[in-house]
Amino acid sequence: MTSVLVVDDDQDLAEMLGIVLNGAGIEVDLVSRGDEVMDVFRNNPPDLVLLDLMLPGLDGIEVCRQIRAFSVRVPIVMLTAKGDTHDVVLGLEAGADDYMVKPFKPSELVARIRTRLRRTSSELSGILLLADIAIDILEHTITRDGKEIPLTRLEFDLLVALAKEPGRVFTREALLSEVWGYRHSTDTRLVNVHIQRLRAKVEHDSENPTIITTVRGIGYKAGVSGTRGH
Amino acid sequence: MGSALLNRISTGVVNEKIKSALSESTLAVYSAQFRFTSGGVTDAALKKIAQEVVNAKKAIRATDSGREVILIRSAKNLDPEVAIDTVSNRVSYESIPSELRDRLLNSGDPVWARSIIEYADGHKVPGIVVGDKLSIPRVGPYDIYFLFSFESQVNTLNLVKNYLFLAGFILLLLIVGITYLVIRQVIEPVRDAAKIAEEFTAGKLEKRISVVGSDEISRLGISFNAMATAIEQQIKRLENLSKVQQRFVSDVSHELRTPLTTIRMASDLIYAYRDKFEPNISRSAELLQSQIDRFELLLADLLEVSRFDATEAAMEISEIDLNEMVARCITDLSLISAEKNVVVNLEKDLVNPIVSVDARRIERILRNLLTNAIDHANEKPVDVTIKSNSSALSVSIRDYGIGIDPAQVPRVFDRFWRADPARARSRGGTGLGLSIAQEDAHLHDGTLKAWGKLNEGAQFILTLPRKIGWKIEAEPIELLTTK
Repeated sequence: MTSVLVVDDDQDLAEMLGIVLNGAGIEVDLVSRGDEVMDVFRNNPPDLVLLDLMLPGLDGIEVCRQIRAFSVRVPIVMLTAKGDTHDVVLGLEAGADDYMVKPFKPSELVARIRTRLRRTSSELSGILLLADIAIDILEHTITRDGKEIPLTRLEFDLLVALAKEPGRVFTREALLSEVWGYRHSTDTRLVNVHIQRLRAKVEHDSENPTIITTVRGIGYKAGVSGTRGH
Repeated sequence: MGSALLNRISTGVVNEKIKSALSESTLAVYSAQFRFTSGGVTDAALKKIAQEVVNAKKAIRATDSGREVILIRSAKNLDPEVAIDTVSNRVSYESIPSELRDRLLNSGDPVWARSIIEYADGHKVPGIVVGDKLSIPRVGPYDIYFLFSFESQVNTLNLVKNYLFLAGFILLLLIVGITYLVIRQVIEPVRDAAKIAEEFTAGKLEKRISVVGSDEISRLGISFNAMATAIEQQIKRLENLSKVQQRFVSDVSHELRTPLTTIRMASDLIYAYRDKFEPNISRSAELLQSQIDRFELLLADLLEVSRFDATEAAMEISEIDLNEMVARCITDLSLISAEKNVVVNLEKDLVNPIVSVDARRIERILRNLLTNAIDHANEKPVDVTIKSNSSALSVSIRDYGIGIDPAQVPRVFDRFWRADPARARSRGGTGLGLSIAQEDAHLHDGTLKAWGKLNEGAQFILTLPRKIGWKIEAEPIELLTTK
């Protein structure tokens, strides 16, 4: 069964989240303090973390960094009361994959969790080549010169979304829908921050990207044509 | 002043010269008369004496140079026995004004006049001519003229004049310098004060005038500084007050969100099972759900407004295709427009639809305007027009429905404004939508304008500069006007 670690200092909200997620068939661990997260995380690694940003003990951004230092793969979804603040960008930069602004609909939350947990579509398999990077869809790894580059699941999904149709220009909205599962959203921060993070990992020079290029006024594309393997 | 002084000096010098010339000539005449009377009467003796008289200039007063003598037969002496007309060879007869000769003829006393003395070598010098009579034995009446040149006086005066000019020039420099210093002393502090006042006006409330000395200027500075301090304190107090208030609104909105999330989830759960309750409770679940939706919207809008008030609205600028965005908004609202039997027409006339904006905000404006138009269209079509020029892009949203009373048009962007307070809102807006839309437009340095007429519909035009900060030279679409 899928397990989610809920980190929130509001007991009632945490309990309600538990009820809703249990109802959706998801197992829930609750933590109410920021400085207790890592103990629980190590003892019982969850499939996903729901993380409130304002926490006693240790703030959410720092918790996010600690989790990322420990696990590159686990998806982190932030819960925040302030949708537009600097905190959201800081959280995304600290390694969070997505965020939800309170108040949110339970169905939306469950859908978002499922999107984050789903495996990249199974119709693709084998190795995608993008420039000098090899993307192994099944293994969920990317390598350059035989060396693995660690990516978060979301970064991997983002890269695959771009790489499976090299040269196609994706609008930010299209990427939000494809990678994050958003239907109507123009939250460009989400895309921009993750593109930046991804570039920092895969580009030779992230100031002058060649693998993921910006198409002015529209969005992004996988810059150099790749070949679909196998 | 210098020339007046020079005049006085020259008059004094000339008068002195005239006085000394008169006394000298009197003496010389006396001496000459004596020599002629006692010297002998031979032709040769007379000529010798005449020669001596004429050339004796140095003998009488050695220090006084420039005296010439002319000995000339009187006009009365028509037939002299001996002619002894003599002239010191350096001057010409022309130096004696004829007017003076006439005067001497009829006068018993010496006469004098100012004249220009002409020298043999041609140069002319101002001076005076003193004339007197001599009675010479055997020869008869003779006139003797003494010509006193002002040359040394002129030289002295020239020297004085030059010194005066030099002194004047130095004085002038001194005056200019002192004036400059004085002006600096007076003007500079005033100019500084004006500059500080301008900076203060521009918002640099911490600016103060530096006060030096204890003159009127410094008193002005002290008063200005006191005023500035008072204003700064007052503004800071108001700022704090307003910050506290905005902070409070923002905090309230945020604090409400966590419990609202719990309520929202609980309500959703109950709502999901509403079929299993008896009708009253089931309906209550529905009402709870819809009112939580409304509460949520209101809270979100309130939070947005508090951000505008705190000027904390963060902009996330990217380049978008306005055609594409408008078309997407229309598509997204197609369910609602179909439900209301409203056809939305889109007319695009754009050379370059790319514009730098905060996509979320612009989309919010467009959705708001479109929803309003569809809501109030009364089953008539809604016309959406996009036009652009070099500096700006406009989107016009025109409906032909119930319209807005023109008197109410200026108020449509007011917070919580309702066209008709009694009329139920079909889509349950928060009353903050248009206000937020206008604030969003202003954040982009754009405009949002409204036109309306009862039963003829309304028009809203959003105009955005191509880039934030650009000036909108001309609006691509003009607002309708009520005839």
